[in-house]
Amino acid sequence: MAIRFKSLSYIYDKDMPYAHKALDDINLEIKEGIITAIIGETGSGKSTLVEHLNALLLPSEGSLEILDYNLVANQKVKFLKPLRKDVGLVFQFSEYQLFEETVLKDVAFGPLNFGFTPDEAIKRAKEALAMVKIDESLFETSPLELSGGQKRRVAIAGILACDPKIIVLDEPTAGLDPSGAKEIIGLFVGLNEKLNKTIIIVSHDNEMVYNYCEETVVLSHGQIKYHGPTLDLFADQEMLKEYDLLEPQIVTFKNMLAEKGFKISKEARTIEMVVKETVRQLKK
Amino acid sequence: MNNLVFGKYIPIDSLMHRLDPRAKLIGLFLMIAAVFIPRSWIVFGVIAVFLAIGLILAKIGIKMIVQSFKPMIMMMIFLLVINSLSIRTGEVLFTIGTFNIYSDAIFNTLFVIVRLLLMISITTLLTATTKPLDLTMGIEWMLKPLEMIHFPTHEVAMMVSIALRFIPTIIEETIRIMNAQKSRGVDFENGKLTEKITAILSLIVPLFSVAFERAYELADAMEARGYVPGAERTRYHVLKFRLLDFLFIFICAAILAFSIASRFFL
Repeated sequence: MAIRFKSLSYIYDKDMPYAHKALDDINLEIKEGIITAIIGETGSGKSTLVEHLNALLLPSEGSLEILDYNLVANQKVKFLKPLRKDVGLVFQFSEYQLFEETVLKDVAFGPLNFGFTPDEAIKRAKEALAMVKIDESLFETSPLELSGGQKRRVAIAGILACDPKIIVLDEPTAGLDPSGAKEIIGLFVGLNEKLNKTIIIVSHDNEMVYNYCEETVVLSHGQIKYHGPTLDLFADQEMLKEYDLLEPQIVTFKNMLAEKGFKISKEARTIEMVVKETVRQLKK
Repeated sequence: MNNLVFGKYIPIDSLMHRLDPRAKLIGLFLMIAAVFIPRSWIVFGVIAVFLAIGLILAKIGIKMIVQSFKPMIMMMIFLLVINSLSIRTGEVLFTIGTFNIYSDAIFNTLFVIVRLLLMISITTLLTATTKPLDLTMGIEWMLKPLEMIHFPTHEVAMMVSIALRFIPTIIEETIRIMNAQKSRGVDFENGKLTEKITAILSLIVPLFSVAFERAYELADAMEARGYVPGAERTRYHVLKFRLLDFLFIFICAAILAFSIASRFFL
């Protein structure tokens, strides 16, 4: 078990007349080595939940176990740096975190902060930049001069270079063009498959969630409504209606095929898989 | 960042919130004058009572007012030390080592501190109950007479309201960038000087680049909606004085009158 929330609550502006309970008694276990999606309407507490994962926010009540660290309400945290190294958080519009003179320096900034030697930090930065497919010719340019999609990838490389065990992504594809978005998601799916990284994605994009995320957590008004296999969630019309979730197009497609007598397996989650099964049955 | 109380608007509904911003601004000036005129503790007491009523009507907790005093503590200590060193009249209250502390020093300091605290509370009452944009509208109205000497009141008000409008956005942005950098191992609280400088740079550079981007976008959006500086324009939201507003100004004026009278009679 990589992450365990134990009756965790978080209250914004605790002592103010407009105090607001953003997370309400969360009990949640997120499995190691898989991709988990967190979905829910705007203001449901997704970002608040995610900011607990590397102690940017500390629980108002309850506790959070993550890897070997334990965050308890009203207790001082002594292991901020190692925790933040092990849990990499990629923020929404992460391109705004770039500030160094060159792309390479910016990516090496995280590793340097976490105590890697300068040589090692540069080496890691180069590897991370290769992973996000930033060409070597751009290493010495200013990160502020890059295009939006390139900036996003450099920012992501900045987190990957720290070699986190858990990678948390808040809306990683927001504002990217479809091919750029696909590339970014492909990168994280690869990291999960090859290096067995635990990945948590906060997203509004149900298509992407259906295609790539093994488990899904549905948040609403600071409470967990569903946690379990993504395929089960989207196969259940009643749950979709209750949580006001848009049905992914593939599911619609699968349902229409089923009406025509095709037998599409539940595990078919991408368009390629569905088409393959359909063609096989047509040939018979 | 979120603990900043002074000047923060509290988005709830109350009697004080519903008053006309112009009435509240006039009230603020009257009350501040009333705080600075008297030499008598009785007047302070009276002002404090009315202030307390105002705070209750505004549904502002005592906790918040106390919090707004916090930044002043250093200044108060400084005042106390300077006064103790320089004022050598009145009775000797007590002695530290061989140094005498006189009663006038203590009373003088207390007097100034009470004045300051009252002033902060009054201002907090105004800013906590008035939306920044309403406040600018109020200020614009008060500057109206200056138009006679071709002072660009509307442009100034527009600039001020844009600045005010973007303070929360920039604070939000700051928190977000700080969080992002913290995730990359930046420690904003501790560390050596060089580390601190890098930490600040990692915040300032992105903040500036975002602010400029925003400024260009806003300018485009304003032009797209036909904004012409200096052009005659009407308002969607028109301020109207009501009976309650006049009553409020009257009470504030009465307090000021009492405060002035106290100089002669108390």
